[in-house]
Amino acid sequence: MSERLYGITALFDSPEKVLAAAKAATKEGYKDFDSYTPYPIHGLDNAMKLKRTYIGIVTLIIGMTGVISLVTFTWWANSVDFPMVTGGKPFFAWPSYVPLMFEMGVLFGAVSTVIALLAIWLGLPRNSHPLHDSEFIKKISDDRFGICIEAKDPKFDQKRTESFLRTLGAEKVEPAYYEVQSFTLKQLVLDPKFIISIIVVAAVSSGTVYWGLNKMLLIRPWSSLNDQEKVLPETRSEFYPDGFAMRPPVEGTVARSQMPYEFTENDLVSAEKYLKNPLLPTPHVMQLGQRDFNTYCSPCHGYFADGDSRLQGQFPNPPSLHTDSLLIAPDGLYYGVITNGFQGIMPSYARQIPRDERWAIVWYLRALQKSEHPEASVAK
Amino acid sequence: MIDTQKLKSIPASYSRLGWTLLILGVLLTVISFVINPKHASFGLIMTLTFVATVGIGALFWVGIEYVSSAVWSTPMRRPFEFISGVIPFLIILAVPLLFNMTTIFEWTHRALFKDDPALLVKAPYLNIPFFIVRTIVVFLVWWLFYYLIIRNSRTQDSTRDQGLTTKNIKLSAGFIPVFGITLTIFSIDWLMSLTPDWYSTIFGVYLFTGAAVASMAFATIVIVKLNEKNLFPVKITPDHYYNLGTFLFAFSNFWAYIGFSQFMLQWYGNLRDETVWYIPRIHGSWAVVSITLVFMQFVIPFFFLITKPAKMDPRRLVFISIWLLAAHALDIYWMVMPVYNPDHAVFALSEVAFMILSVGILLSVFSFKAKGNNMVPIGDPKLQRGLEFHI
Amino acid sequence: MIDYTKAPPLVEGNPTLTHLDDDIAKPMEHRPSAKYFIALAITLAMLTFGIIAVGYTFYYGIGMWGNNIPVGWAFAITNFVFWIGIGHAGTLISAILFLFRQRWRTAIARTAEAMTIFAVMCAGLFPVLHLGRPWFMAFIIPIPNQHGLWINFNSPLVWDVFAVSTYFTVSLMFWYIGLIPDLATMRDRTTNKIKKTIYSILSLGWRFSNRHWQHYEKVYVILAGLATPLVFSVHSIVSFDFAVSILPGWHTTIFPPYFVAGAIFSGFGMVLTVLIIVRKVFNLEYIITKDHLDRMAKVTLLVSMMVAYAYLLEPFIAWYSGDPVDWYLVIQRATGHYALGFWIMTTCNVFVPQLLWFKKIRRCVPVLFVISLLINVGMWLERYIIIVTSLVRDFTPAAWHLYSPTWVDFGILTGSFGLFFTLVLLFSRTLPVISMSEVKGVTESAHPAHQAGVSHE
Repeated sequence: MSERLYGITALFDSPEKVLAAAKAATKEGYKDFDSYTPYPIHGLDNAMKLKRTYIGIVTLIIGMTGVISLVTFTWWANSVDFPMVTGGKPFFAWPSYVPLMFEMGVLFGAVSTVIALLAIWLGLPRNSHPLHDSEFIKKISDDRFGICIEAKDPKFDQKRTESFLRTLGAEKVEPAYYEVQSFTLKQLVLDPKFIISIIVVAAVSSGTVYWGLNKMLLIRPWSSLNDQEKVLPETRSEFYPDGFAMRPPVEGTVARSQMPYEFTENDLVSAEKYLKNPLLPTPHVMQLGQRDFNTYCSPCHGYFADGDSRLQGQFPNPPSLHTDSLLIAPDGLYYGVITNGFQGIMPSYARQIPRDERWAIVWYLRALQKSEHPEASVAK
Repeated sequence: MIDTQKLKSIPASYSRLGWTLLILGVLLTVISFVINPKHASFGLIMTLTFVATVGIGALFWVGIEYVSSAVWSTPMRRPFEFISGVIPFLIILAVPLLFNMTTIFEWTHRALFKDDPALLVKAPYLNIPFFIVRTIVVFLVWWLFYYLIIRNSRTQDSTRDQGLTTKNIKLSAGFIPVFGITLTIFSIDWLMSLTPDWYSTIFGVYLFTGAAVASMAFATIVIVKLNEKNLFPVKITPDHYYNLGTFLFAFSNFWAYIGFSQFMLQWYGNLRDETVWYIPRIHGSWAVVSITLVFMQFVIPFFFLITKPAKMDPRRLVFISIWLLAAHALDIYWMVMPVYNPDHAVFALSEVAFMILSVGILLSVFSFKAKGNNMVPIGDPKLQRGLEFHI
Repeated sequence: MIDYTKAPPLVEGNPTLTHLDDDIAKPMEHRPSAKYFIALAITLAMLTFGIIAVGYTFYYGIGMWGNNIPVGWAFAITNFVFWIGIGHAGTLISAILFLFRQRWRTAIARTAEAMTIFAVMCAGLFPVLHLGRPWFMAFIIPIPNQHGLWINFNSPLVWDVFAVSTYFTVSLMFWYIGLIPDLATMRDRTTNKIKKTIYSILSLGWRFSNRHWQHYEKVYVILAGLATPLVFSVHSIVSFDFAVSILPGWHTTIFPPYFVAGAIFSGFGMVLTVLIIVRKVFNLEYIITKDHLDRMAKVTLLVSMMVAYAYLLEPFIAWYSGDPVDWYLVIQRATGHYALGFWIMTTCNVFVPQLLWFKKIRRCVPVLFVISLLINVGMWLERYIIIVTSLVRDFTPAAWHLYSPTWVDFGILTGSFGLFFTLVLLFSRTLPVISMSEVKGVTESAHPAHQAGVSHE
């Protein structure tokens, strides 16, 4: 069967000979030829008149791309998307980004260069080259040097080229042929071993990814944050008989910063005796008292504490607060009434009015009383 | 191989230019002292630093060649030796400053100390007598190594004794660590103490990188110019140029790395003792100088020298070397002058005097040393290997 | 008396290229000796001990270690910095010496690069191990997530992730690119079908074409040119882990070049250790010659002096700064609880390498071996002292607390050595420990002479 000729190979036993051969071949006008050496020989590039390689441009351009991408991304992430102050540094902390810029530049540059070298410049991987696995290459990878002039060169003529190579002092000159393809691409793809291996790889990789994302991430320890051993609000509890997971505070619990009211509900005598107004009648306190009085007290007591209120007739009317006994009653009485209510008719306002504000209301009330009875003795 | 006619000739034009600049520089410096002694003193510190770094840097490169047994630089070693000839004259530049220290250095004013405990601690080191002693010792040590190494190299021209190479290797091996320590002392005394509160352990290394770049740049200019004008006794090939270019490239990058490390660490820690140096340099017109410096000494040379042809091209090498020398001058200006005026960059007669005097000293000393001495170490056993060197 | 007019031979005895191939390929083509299996058993035992220690750590948590407050970082970070440092010598030898055209590197570059990769693998374990919740280690990668959060770009720990992964990737690619021609040679030599398939796949069909060599050489230079600043940047970023803080003893600007010099120093120590063993065991003494050891020893001496420079400068500037806390740390290191470690470290890193001034010692292999071991001890201690002394005595005396390691700490350290040496042993039998194509290129008659009788450099 006639095989297609790839070219003629010549084997030499010294670097000087192969250098001379390359020079001669170039001089002879051959362009489609190559030298084969176990290590790069100095001067061979010039002998073959090879143009300089521009692969460095890939490194520079893709490397710079890496640098610019990184600084753009970090600027966007830290100044636009989720601006966060860490360590007191500004959002665009460029000195921090310089090490990252450098690393990304090097990474992008290096990876792109290697991939470009292999895939584009060298056309590797390729195990189908005519010289691959030939006796010629086996000698080259050991200790010989060689030239191969390809048949596709315009100056190629099998007889003339062969004799030309012999004149160069070659150890061995012989032709190289393309490997006859004993199978077609279709046969390769439909080969049962190939199909089975593709199916196996697909199954294993998709199975792994599925298991990883849908199963593994849901077991401990990755799920530790999902099912924590703590009580969630508004859930059922098997432990307590009433089924509530949320429990009320124990009887007698006092909330933070809350002082319990010392006297019993109806004990206004002690309230009178012991509770003293801690606030001073500053303009702020008076305004606070006025605001609160108008808000909370005026619906029943009226704006001037005389019982003339908006709710007259719909609620049991409170008495006027300007009676003689009330004029001289101490502040503690009023405080006690606001806190506990009065004889079941007036409710407690302790939950609506904080303690300080209750005292402010008392001041305001005193002001109202004073305004209507300026000369009467008003308890201080 | 060696053109003996060109061995000892250096064109008169170099010498004339050198002396002209030297005399002009001295004149301008004296005038600037009369006008404003403080500004002029700062200018003289800049001159001293520039000349010292180029000179001792050149000796460093000579030492490195010996220690690493490099051969590519042997044909070109003499110009480096001539450049290091400024070392014996450094003391002359320092004397006017040593008599003027109270104008320049804040720490000489003891009265300021009593509120600053940190400055009090430094007093055993930062005091005038010890300062003067250190200056003299550093210059003496430099001169000693210069004298011994250069003498061996010169003697070898006539005796061709390989033992001298062995001697110089040993001397260089001792010189390198001593160089590191003495240059650090120089940097702490003359530059770091200008801002007495400030400190940085990497500062000596920073000055070293500047010295390496500047000395290599000056040597490159001289070598390439002489070679292109066919005045060099041997043929220096583009392959030799390639190595010069590679060192310029590598060390300007190294400068940027050290400079950035110092800045970033002191920016990050944000401690008053350290930021006190940078604060004036990142505001106002000094900020413009800072950014210019980064572009001048790193960004532009990086892209300019990154390709192989650029490192081998004589015209581009001379251009970038002059550029890098100017960048080194700017670096020194940036280190020194913000102490004189923290608010804005100054440019007056003192700066002009600095530039002219520095170049004048280097050029005139170079041509003075080159007269009557071989431009190539003809007795060096590595010379032949160096001439055949190619990448 | 040395003759400087002649370039020293890089391979002794002027062997033939086939002879070189045979010698270098021998470990891959023949059954290993009993000594190999004993060595492998030892390293595997160390590795197993390490795995057990790691198991305890993962199961019970970091409490198994000696860490406490304030010493939150101890063995894990020491080991991390130690191993990364060892990796740097490999890159220095293969990349930096290549750029300086120091052709003597060819005999040692392959093993050194392999050591880099194995050392970085060992190092990379520690940032994962020292996390309290290592299963969340992926949080360090900036991927969009439900929290809408990004990583903390201001943190040098993040810079570490980028740096070390870049370093590993580039070193691996550099090593692999260098391996391609050798894998092709192995492909062409071997008769075993399985090996041939593997080598054929891995060598990508390389056929030694000169047009390919031209681009290949350029990419090799580019990768070497990228790897060199990478070495500087990676260990500088590792040093930033400490230097960006304000702790006394950590916050000092010399850290980046000091750490790089220290890394090269410790790396050369390890390279010397490994190569002295390799050249003896595989009879490669005529390729990894005493000249090589001599030159490596000189480089080791040079970097030890850089380290010594930093040892001198730090206390001086600590005193000069007038900061009492900084100065106290200097005193504390020399005379405090860890003073013994400090002085062993100084002896091993500064005084012992001074022996390398003497040629007789540089060329005396047993002494060189012992020195290399001491350097490794000294450099491990250096990282330990730097980290622990600054943490045990920081600003607030009320927070002072000493540190001592537990068996688990030592177990993990031992395990890392076990992993490293296991990988080295496996490497020595599966891949050529010397670059065949490169070493052929530095034999005496490798290149055509330019003039008669003149050797090429």
